[in-house]
Amino acid sequence: MAEAEEAGGANPVNEPLDLVRLSLNEVVFVKLRGDRELKGRLHAYDSHCNLVLGEVEETVYVVDEEEDNDEDNVRTVKKQSEMLFVRGDSVVLISPQQ
Amino acid sequence: MLFFSFFKTLVNHEVTVELKNDISIRGTLKSVDQYLNIKLDDITVVDELKYPHLSSVKNVFIRGSVVRYVHLPAAAVDTPLLEDATRREASQASAKAKQG
Amino acid sequence: MENLNLHDAAPRPLSSMQNQMPPGPPPVPQLPPQMFTTAAQLLDLTDKKLMVSLRDGRKLIGVLRSWDQFGNLVLQSTVERLFVQHLYADIERGLFLVRGENVLLLGEIDLDKDDYVPEPYELAPVERVFALKKAEDAERGRVEKRRQRTLAGYGFEGEHAGEAIL
Repeated sequence: MAEAEEAGGANPVNEPLDLVRLSLNEVVFVKLRGDRELKGRLHAYDSHCNLVLGEVEETVYVVDEEEDNDEDNVRTVKKQSEMLFVRGDSVVLISPQQ
Repeated sequence: MLFFSFFKTLVNHEVTVELKNDISIRGTLKSVDQYLNIKLDDITVVDELKYPHLSSVKNVFIRGSVVRYVHLPAAAVDTPLLEDATRREASQASAKAKQG
Repeated sequence: MENLNLHDAAPRPLSSMQNQMPPGPPPVPQLPPQMFTTAAQLLDLTDKKLMVSLRDGRKLIGVLRSWDQFGNLVLQSTVERLFVQHLYADIERGLFLVRGENVLLLGEIDLDKDDYVPEPYELAPVERVFALKKAEDAERGRVEKRRQRTLAGYGFEGEHAGEAIL
């Protein structure tokens, strides 16, 4: 435990949000509630998972109802945004991208 | 507090607030509070005919909890500064957590 | 809370928070910190005619007479306005206390545009609009359910499970 404390600031991942800290100024993938995904450069976050992302591509999953078919068609719509604040309560997961 | 401070630096800039019910409202950011409730002036609604109840509205108070995104003007955001502030807030938060 | 004035002292010290922002452009120096409270935001709207959008999709129009830090509201002379297809109708509702968590947004009505409803919406009898609205909500519920089911297969979860929208 003492070692972990020692390593303190510069260091690896002690708690979940440390992983997010290491992604600052890197491109991340974010999955959201409401059938959405984002990919963008992470500029800020807080403990609620509120985020600011730059050069964002949003992917929205849209369902087209097929009248004569039980299987509905799912397509994606892409949207771009130069800078985006994302409210943390919509965030499902954050993943660093290579 | 990070995002509260951040939004305060964006007062008087044009932003677009996208709500969880898909309404997008563009306007001048006039105010924000600790819950990230947002006040916008001189609003225009994207796809206005779909939301006729907003036609005679000039400014709105949006409850923070119903916001999905705020689209920001990239030129108004100093990203290195924001990243530094984020690191500082993160280290403060984890120090607090350790104290219990 | 009602007696709060913009010139009063801020409810809690904000200076510590300002230190968190690194040096550089100071955060909007021309505005005092007490501008950035829920109270200050709602104070501006007191005694104004507002359009209040609720979480269940209702739209209320009334005069804001009182509120508190939770966003609980008292609305006077409230009218509920229903929109469906290209019709709308008003129902007189009177005095309302709305619990804050049910509020989506408050809009101040521009008195120059008061009661302006855009083309092609036109006023229709309440009974007719109400019946159409009920059918429309049922249909929306059905479509939404089917959509959720399809997207669940893709690992998505609804944003507001069980809640009506708009």
